[in-house]
This record gives sequence, C-alpha cells and structure tokens, in this order.
Amino acid sequence: MQNIKHVVIACAGYGSRLGLDMPKCMVKLGGRTLLSYILEIVKDIEDIRIVVGFKEEMVEAEAKRINPNVVIVRNPDYRTTTNAYSCYLASKDLKEPFIIVDGDMIIDKLDFAKFLETIDGNASIVGICKSKTTDAVFVNLDGNGNVIEFQRERPQEYEWCGICYLKNIKIHIDGRYVFDEIIPHLPLPTFEFKCFEIDTPADLEIALANFYKLNY
Amino acid sequence: MKTAFCFDLDGTITHSEVLPFLAREINLFDEMEALTMATICGHLPFDKSFKLRVRILNTIPISRVRSIIETIPLHKKVVDFLREHREQCFIVTGNLDVWINALAEKIGIEAFSSKADFDGDRLLGVKHILNKGDAVDEVRSRGFDRIVGIGDGMGDVPMFAKSNVGIAYGGIHDPAKTLIENSDFIVYSENSLCRTLNTLL
Repeated sequence: MQNIKHVVIACAGYGSRLGLDMPKCMVKLGGRTLLSYILEIVKDIEDIRIVVGFKEEMVEAEAKRINPNVVIVRNPDYRTTTNAYSCYLASKDLKEPFIIVDGDMIIDKLDFAKFLETIDGNASIVGICKSKTTDAVFVNLDGNGNVIEFQRERPQEYEWCGICYLKNIKIHIDGRYVFDEIIPHLPLPTFEFKCFEIDTPADLEIALANFYKLNY
Repeated sequence: MKTAFCFDLDGTITHSEVLPFLAREINLFDEMEALTMATICGHLPFDKSFKLRVRILNTIPISRVRSIIETIPLHKKVVDFLREHREQCFIVTGNLDVWINALAEKIGIEAFSSKADFDGDRLLGVKHILNKGDAVDEVRSRGFDRIVGIGDGMGDVPMFAKSNVGIAYGGIHDPAKTLIENSDFIVYSENSLCRTLNTLL
C-alpha cells in the first residue's frame, strides 16, 4: 500500500448507451452517486485525480463536496477522444506507479481494500471480473492466473474490468484503450473484483439488484 | 524541460484578496469586496475596476499600504514551494508595484505587476496595467520551454492563454468560469495545488 501515490478516475465520457442526461459517475445507486462510492474506497490514496469532460461542472461539484483534496483533470475534447486519452492526460506527469479506475462502476469495498494490500510495488496488476456479457474484452489466463492475452472473440471465464495498477506502463497520447497499453507488458498478475460496470439501463438494473453484496 | 511557474497573487499566494483587505483601513471592506468579486467573475473589466479601486484606496499613504500588505495571511505551503523553487517561480499580478514589491521581496521571488504613478508616499494613479499574457511572454523569453499558470480570476485568462498548463485554484472561492474553460487542472485546496505543482517540476 505504501507504493500507491496516485489514482486516476476516468469520468469524462458521455454514457450515451445509458440514455441519462448526466455523466455515468453521477448515476445514483442507493441514494448516492457512483463517484461517491469510488471516492470512498480510494480515500487513503494521497493523489486522487478525476478526469472530467461531459457536464464537467456536475462532476466537479460532487467531487469537491466529497473531498476538496482531489485534483480535477480536464478533458475538453471528450467528444472526440477515448477513455485512454483521458487517462493519458491525468497520468502523463506522474513519475510513480498509479491506479486507474473507470468512473462508471461500482466496486466491492472489501475487494478494493484487498487489492490495495496486494500491491507490493513489484509488478503491474490487471483487474478482472467474472464475464457478464458477450461483448466484453476477455482475458486469457495461464495456469498461475496471469493474463496472457486480451481479446474480444472467444468468451472466457473472466473479462477485463477497467481497474489496474500500472508500474512502468505509460498511457500514450494516441492510445486507443487502456488494455492496449498493457498488452506489450504481458504476462501480468491479476486481481479478481466483484464489480458492476454501468453502460446500459440493463446494467443499472443488475447493479441495483446486486448492490447489497458489495459491502457498503 | 525547463518549467516556469507564474502565480497570481491575490487569493492564490495570499489567503484573501488584497484590495478588500486594504479597504478595511478606510472602513470600505464590503464595498471593495463587492467590486473585487464582480471583477474576478468578469462582470467588470479589470482595468476600469482596478483604476476605480485604486482611486478609492489612494487616500492611504503608500508606506501604510505596504505595511498592511506585509501582514496579509499567505498560503504557507504555496510560499514554501515558491521559496524552494525561486529561480523558476514568478508572481504575476495586476496589483501595483509600490504596494506589493515588499511582499515579493519578503517571499524572495520576482514579481511582474502594474505600475503606479506616485509622488513620494502619495499614490497619484495607475501608470500601466499589466497584461498577464505579456508577463508570460517575458518569462518564456528567458529560456523556459514550459510555463505553468496558477490563478483564480478573469484577470488570469490571458496568462492561461499563453501558458502551456493552467491550474485553476479554488481555494478561497470558485475559480472564474472562463478561467476553468481555459485550464487543464482544477484544485480546491492548498494541498492538492502543491501536489499538482510537484508533478510538474
């Protein structure tokens, strides 16, 4: 845990498939925003960086209300850029390893605490979860549970969940996906999360139904 | 990469806006505060508002203003950063040279400021109002290839426009909306400001 100085929370995107007129991290679950749950689990990390774009004022006000010590990173080009570009903006000046978390998910609180404990600073760690959909980015594991491949064609037991600890892995300005940047560094150890990403109204239903299991 | 940091003074280095702080002396704090906030938000153009505010304050002798300004509370961690990196830090303020030079000397860094017209201890008016963008050009001409601007108000927009990185600081009040639109980072506390500055060294 002493090795983790920075966390990047990517909250810039539209969330067009959800059909709500707000950034996905502002969606409420159990009366609170997704962002408030993420800020709760990362609260002991010194440098919390939130990338904002779509309806940035909403996210800024919520972040400031919860933790005035956060750093807001602006991605005014969120309409034409990728999630990886948002992560590039927030991480390009960092000299130490950092964690990336997607802002549109709800993560088991105890799992995340265990993840922080697991990080020993020796290697990057790739967050995975049990596969829930067919259009996921699947991870192929070797016998030791290390990721050896990311791919979309052949369904696997696990998928990439948008959480990672990156040591000596840079996100480039023209990166398409965060997992693309990880590929040259494989194989890498994994950590399994219980988590729910919220892309569609159906995802939101599933998250609501399972929320009670996430230790909040 | 050689990086320079250009800091707004009021509300960024100091803990409160300087002119309302001075106006206490002549019992016009609320009036000055209202004018100052309207200027920060861009409801009044800086040059006109500044001349007006200087006119209100010019009954106070310059030496008195300097000694009041020396007592103004500062953001301690920001000042520590300035002192540790004094070769690459600059104050860029629309405030008057005769008022703020002593404070800049006390901190120990160079200041770009507006210029006063004065006669001994008496302030006559404003001779030149600093365009903060010009100050960035001057700093860049000294061989810095990345300029980081730090500020909170409308007056800092020209500084951000010429800088490579803009940090909108909302420590005292929310940064001006237009400044936010021209910024790369927004921070709301002294700690997060200094943390961000350190990543940019």
